[in-house]
Amino acid sequence: MSGIEFSRPAYSEPAEPGVIYAPQSGWRKWLDRLVYIAALGGVLFSMAILLTIFAVLVHGSWQALGRIGLHFFTTQAWNPVPGRDKYGVLAFVYGTGVTTFLALLFGVPLSIGVAVFITRLAPRWMAGPVSFLVELLAAIPSIAYGLWGCFVMSPWLQNYLEPVIYHVLRHIKIIPVGKYPSGNIEFFPANLVRGGPSGSDFLAGGLILTIMILPIITAITRDVLRQFPQELEQGAYGLGATWWQTTRLALVYCKAGIFGAVMLGMARAIGETMAVIMVIGNTDSISASLFAGGQTMSGVLANEFMEADHPIYLSAMFYVALVLMLSSLLTNVIARAMLSRISAGRDKR
Amino acid sequence: MSDITVSPAPAGSPPVNPFQGRRPGRRWISRAFAGLSILATLMALAVLFVVLWYIGGRGIEYMTTAFFTNLPLQTPEGMRNCIIGTVILVMLSSVLGVPLGMLCGIYLAEYARKGWFTYAARLVIDLLAGTPTILLGVIAWQLVVVPMHHQSGWSGALALAFIMVPIIARATEEMLRLVPHAHREASAGLGASHAQTLFRVILPAAKAGISTGIMLAIARVAGETAPLLFTALGNDQAVYDPNQPYPSLTLKIWQYSQSAEASWRHQAWTGVLALVSLVLIFTAAVRFTVREKK
Repeated sequence: MSGIEFSRPAYSEPAEPGVIYAPQSGWRKWLDRLVYIAALGGVLFSMAILLTIFAVLVHGSWQALGRIGLHFFTTQAWNPVPGRDKYGVLAFVYGTGVTTFLALLFGVPLSIGVAVFITRLAPRWMAGPVSFLVELLAAIPSIAYGLWGCFVMSPWLQNYLEPVIYHVLRHIKIIPVGKYPSGNIEFFPANLVRGGPSGSDFLAGGLILTIMILPIITAITRDVLRQFPQELEQGAYGLGATWWQTTRLALVYCKAGIFGAVMLGMARAIGETMAVIMVIGNTDSISASLFAGGQTMSGVLANEFMEADHPIYLSAMFYVALVLMLSSLLTNVIARAMLSRISAGRDKR
Repeated sequence: MSDITVSPAPAGSPPVNPFQGRRPGRRWISRAFAGLSILATLMALAVLFVVLWYIGGRGIEYMTTAFFTNLPLQTPEGMRNCIIGTVILVMLSSVLGVPLGMLCGIYLAEYARKGWFTYAARLVIDLLAGTPTILLGVIAWQLVVVPMHHQSGWSGALALAFIMVPIIARATEEMLRLVPHAHREASAGLGASHAQTLFRVILPAAKAGISTGIMLAIARVAGETAPLLFTALGNDQAVYDPNQPYPSLTLKIWQYSQSAEASWRHQAWTGVLALVSLVLIFTAAVRFTVREKK
């Protein structure tokens, strides 16, 4: 310890593995501290933003939490006329759930297919450009997808795809949540497709979300698949495995990371607003039919938040926002847990 | 999945090759799945192509010079104020979002050590990145619009800044971590302080990467609509005072797309073309300049 002093103040620790900076005095010491405090302040400010989000949402929805409580989740009645004031989030949770489910149903196989192509099939000169083009899908703003969906995709669905789907699926019944004058939940079998094709329905919402989650799931799955060890791949080929057997091995090996990627895509689908409200039809109904219009949680916020002119209505809007925040938070936390396990495993190797 | 387990066979039993036998036609199966993978890629690229084709085609079809020179209520109508409004709004939000995001990134890359606080900081950045953007609009509405009693450019800029912070924080942290550790040690060995090392060595080395992150964040918020619905609100006049409701390209596109009037829908298509080309040129240019640097 001959004269060597650690320059770091009590509140500072070096980056790992640590670099030991020479002791400083005068303005340099103060600059050091200033920079540290500024950086720490930035982090604290970000934490404050997140806490503020919760505080504002809980504070805003306080009245609705007290007056409606958990009944919010068991009714779909939504009547904001002053005096009537019936609020139930069920139709919007259903709308978010169905569109997200459809997006994952179409989007996950597609994204994994693209990621497998990029990492395991494409020649080197092709992998980069394909990667770039698919990521470009993420750069297009959601309002652009909305406009395209509204004026190009919806008419196309209505005139070409949905009549075909109708003929294929018309006899299939599933068990949905019913819609009843009492506003309570009932279950009964109903057709998967019913009514005329409109082009502005759950199917359209699911398809537009499929396009929007595709680049996210693809990019992360691609990164995860790149971590599949060479030894395992070569070992599998050495044992005579075919390309698909090796790829399955890679997919199984990376399943936690791929699950994390899917959850991130799901979080995106839950939070997406503009593109969905432009194609989903904006009716607060619960229907098993793919051809029925609906509404999502973010959609009802976008459409009605500004119209909430009396306190309990506004409070119910905040309640919807709180439910949306919590569901998106939950998916993000699961995604994060899955993906950090992957990177922890990578560090160990 | 059991047929491709790679765990070693129990001692004493003869070695079993999990990949062969019991699987007639496995080569054809392999080819079929390779075909599906190619098909998925072609579908994704086709979607990109179709979306861009319509945006480009309709946008150019309805484009007029008045679009860039006139205001929405003039005849012929245009979106001049909306384009300028979006640009200013993004610049205003960068004033808060860029430094804040960079500070978070600097903390996580340079000062963070293992412990609950770093864990919490990373969690917060991830959760902020995952928060639906419309909720950030709700927050900015409560924080700014309610006290001011009317919508304003400030509230829109605040919502956009919240979106920028996690994107820039992640980019900054990642880029700072790419700077070789030896650079820090060399600087410390010459007697530099931590702050000097940061400003003279680390940040200059990571400059290109961090500016890429900032540009991508700017491209991202320029295309945001949902957080502006309750905050910036839109404005048909050439008003660029952030205390007033603010014009924005995305809001105008949204408003026009809901209208039944053909000329307004045409304006919306041109607006989307302007927005998408702005965002894509920004994104593509950034990607290619960075690739060259490597």
